[in-house]
Amino acid sequence: MWGREVNGIVLRFHLAGINNQNFLMRDEETGTYWQQISGRAVSGPLTGSALRLIHSDELTLALWKAEQPHGAVLKDVAAYTSQYAPEDWDVKMKKAPTVLSYAQPGLAPRDLMLGIHTGGAARAYRFDDVLNQKLIEDRVGSEPVLLVLGGDGESARAFSRRLPRGDAVADFYRAPDSTAGGALMMDALTGSRWNFRGCAVEGPRTGECLQKVEAIKDYWFDWRNYNPGTTVFRR
Amino acid sequence: MTPRKTITPALVLAVSFAISLFFLAYPIYVIRPFRHQGAGELAVALAVLRYRPVVMGLCVALGMVGLILYWRSRPGRWRRIAACAGAGVCLFAALSRVNIYEMMFHPMGRPEFQSAGETKLDGGEMVTAVEIGPVARAYPVRITSYHHIVNDVVNGVPIVATY
Repeated sequence: MWGREVNGIVLRFHLAGINNQNFLMRDEETGTYWQQISGRAVSGPLTGSALRLIHSDELTLALWKAEQPHGAVLKDVAAYTSQYAPEDWDVKMKKAPTVLSYAQPGLAPRDLMLGIHTGGAARAYRFDDVLNQKLIEDRVGSEPVLLVLGGDGESARAFSRRLPRGDAVADFYRAPDSTAGGALMMDALTGSRWNFRGCAVEGPRTGECLQKVEAIKDYWFDWRNYNPGTTVFRR
Repeated sequence: MTPRKTITPALVLAVSFAISLFFLAYPIYVIRPFRHQGAGELAVALAVLRYRPVVMGLCVALGMVGLILYWRSRPGRWRRIAACAGAGVCLFAALSRVNIYEMMFHPMGRPEFQSAGETKLDGGEMVTAVEIGPVARAYPVRITSYHHIVNDVVNGVPIVATY
């Protein structure tokens, strides 16, 4: 998700094409073409500019509603509802051919990954590994990170493992059961319990929140294409 | 009319036809799904798209001038062929105004929302969620995977939700 303001101009985007199966957007105001996955201008007057990343999460609606009971949900455009993705859309997409293939042991082009850019590096995690392990501690470049699975067993988020105030790096482990306040992990440094929003709900750090890290859900071939220096997490 | 006065308009019309056909067809050939795109050819195709409105306008203007001059100078069958070429230039220019991608995946227009409590969507549906200040919004993937782009303003911040 991207901010639409560049050099003081608010841009309005249109779907304009595709580049190796990642779509291109064109803005009305300057006619510049932008790559969706990178937010970078690839052709036109604003070439070289980049859109500002706006943090977003990919979650189940149920989990999001529990966190944001007063939030708003985008409505269908009635004329096109019948053309929206069927329930098995992601299953069908996994079988669609790709035009790029990057040899990586144990990875197929359309394996779903969580990709992270932080600490001056890029790193990818098989989404299935996140589903299976539920909590992954790692380091991306200079940044200690954790990936955690939500209580719904389908949504995932990433955070920095630096505790707020003082910058101490903590190890985290999964709490045995989801407890009051939705805590699902503990840190070994203070014993505080943290929920899926990355906020401490029990213990000495109650009320504090970990720094969010953008985790992009993407197919392996697409992540690798735009992050040629990426490493891959191994179980 | 001298041969030169016949050949020059015909040449102008033919060149207009060829250029307008190239400016229409090349981006369609390069920018399409399930085809590997090299960086160089994509850059050329995008440059073609960028300058296409101007080039198409010139092709139509020059093509029409060429057609009119030729029409006056040659009777019969060749006139009809020239007229077809002129019509082709106009057709290519008109087709170049069509955004095929927005014909396949209609743009969302101004997004509308309902409260989290009102939505009838299944709780298992995946959404892309954003929170800016006190405002939280969810964009169901079933919708964004069709429209691909949602131009929105969240808590005063213009954003584009993409999928």
